[in-house]
Amino acid sequence: MVEESVFYPQKTDTQKIETDNMRIKSSVEATLGFSEKWDAREAGREVAESAIQNLTEPPNFFLLFSTIHYEKYGGFKNFLDGVWDVLPKGTPLIGGTVAGFMNNYGVYAQGATALAVSCPDMDVAIGYGKNTKRNPKEAVMHSVNMIKNDLKSSPHNNRFLFNFVSGTSVMQIPGQGNKKVVDSGFMSKFVMLAFGMSQYLFQKGFGREDEIFEEIIKKLPKYYMLLGASMDDYKAIKNYQFFNNNIFTNSVVNIGISTDLNFDVCTTHGMTETDKKFEITKLSRNKHIIHKINNKPAVAELLRLLDWPEGFLTEKTMMHRILYYPISLRRHGRDVPAVMAGILKESIITPCALDDGEVTVLTVSGKNLIQAMSKNLDFFKEMQPEFGLFSTCITIFETLGYKTNILRDELLRYFNEKPFLMFFSPGEGTYSPAKNITYANMSFNTVIFGHNQNMVM
Amino acid sequence: MKDDPIAKVLDNLMKFDDILACMVGRRGMIDSVLPSDGTDSFKPEIMDVWDVIKRGMDNIFVTIQDISSIGLEEITYKIRGYEVLFYVLPDTENALVAIVPSLANKGLIDVELTRSRQRIQKILENEKKGETEQASAVSGLLHG
Repeated sequence: MVEESVFYPQKTDTQKIETDNMRIKSSVEATLGFSEKWDAREAGREVAESAIQNLTEPPNFFLLFSTIHYEKYGGFKNFLDGVWDVLPKGTPLIGGTVAGFMNNYGVYAQGATALAVSCPDMDVAIGYGKNTKRNPKEAVMHSVNMIKNDLKSSPHNNRFLFNFVSGTSVMQIPGQGNKKVVDSGFMSKFVMLAFGMSQYLFQKGFGREDEIFEEIIKKLPKYYMLLGASMDDYKAIKNYQFFNNNIFTNSVVNIGISTDLNFDVCTTHGMTETDKKFEITKLSRNKHIIHKINNKPAVAELLRLLDWPEGFLTEKTMMHRILYYPISLRRHGRDVPAVMAGILKESIITPCALDDGEVTVLTVSGKNLIQAMSKNLDFFKEMQPEFGLFSTCITIFETLGYKTNILRDELLRYFNEKPFLMFFSPGEGTYSPAKNITYANMSFNTVIFGHNQNMVM
Repeated sequence: MKDDPIAKVLDNLMKFDDILACMVGRRGMIDSVLPSDGTDSFKPEIMDVWDVIKRGMDNIFVTIQDISSIGLEEITYKIRGYEVLFYVLPDTENALVAIVPSLANKGLIDVELTRSRQRIQKILENEKKGETEQASAVSGLLHG
């Protein structure tokens, strides 16, 4: 059973909130930065300038996202130097590369965007951990310790953590590049053997953001959380994470926020169950590759279940056919709706670790995706928003293309000139102590900070 | 060509790895606009199939001319491992054309092609507005 997340209003300290005709006068300043320039240094300067020019106080933090293009047009060092030409020294900054983003101004597959927030009732800490693909537990430990240390004396009650993890980077198959469908039995066996080695030695492989998320939640169970992952232009070759003026690869970067502001997190998706079910009967050791379903070779059995002819899923057709038939996997007793990421002859690759057992085939349409966004905002209808951050599945961006802009109208109505920033991610989820973890592909994942109007005295 | 604002929009499109060639054109390739350096910035791999693609494009422009007035927005055709994407400029017989590999991530490309079409549309509108204002000024002088 695939369930949508439910909104639970959060307790807050309302003493500092003043009301004026039931609208809350806010001391929060949140602004967006944006640049479409191609030159890395100029774009860095512009994204920082446009973000901070409307702030009256220096920002408490600066979230920075850019597309991969600056790697080629000046490099990310220049890009960050441009940002720090303008940004006040000492401002906590994290972020990284994304396939695209949407903000109050539009939807973009090239450029840079930032969210700068200045708020007197807020403490902020940032952390990082390296080698996430090789040793996620150690990476999490390093980052969490930084956050814990810096926030231990914060007097504020409400805690939030944003996790931004290096996403999957695909191993190049000799002579074939990075393919989603490998037809050759010999090559498939080679790829499967090489997977483990490549993951550990070269850190080319799964992002393991789901495992990282689970690990962080174990360490900081009282925090509300949003998960996103970094990516290039959806080629999954390389991605970068930003931490102050450092550029990392294969790392997790975190920002912990302790505040009296209200906030909550919510995940929604537009997937619905079909009546098609199957049993995973053989999994790889790393729990990412389904070898057999219903005790039969996985791909042939999947095609039979979907009533698709042999050879229906090829390199050319894989993406747009399989995207509309995600599957509901099981992980530690939870449902995890996921897109099948690739095919190795008779085996199916999944983007997240899974357990064996019954799987339901889901389906989704463009219309359902758009409705999922509305449902997501519905959960926050009691909130008077100050700013919002969305981690949205990259497959939604790839599926809707420029039509992603349809979602923006609704967001503009909800946020009413307050800033929002949506980035497109290859792995996303939310966590709250009340709702527990939700990790789902093709989903909208939201944190909105503001004032819960029900709690105004 | 160097100072043509439309050519500058095309120059930016050529910076995307997956855009192998692009232009703004119409039937018979009359008044076509290429990037600032002509075809020099086209990725070399496209040159082998350019003639075949161009022949196909001519035929598509005939269709665009026929049905653009009823609201045609986009046409795509696939040929020899490439896709030729036509983003029709509203109320004209012109289209922004981009050639991409057939395995390119077209959702991401769609975002930037649509934005580029909007920019080109704005440039054309401004040019038209400028011409109208100039004509009114001349008319004013003649009749004033």
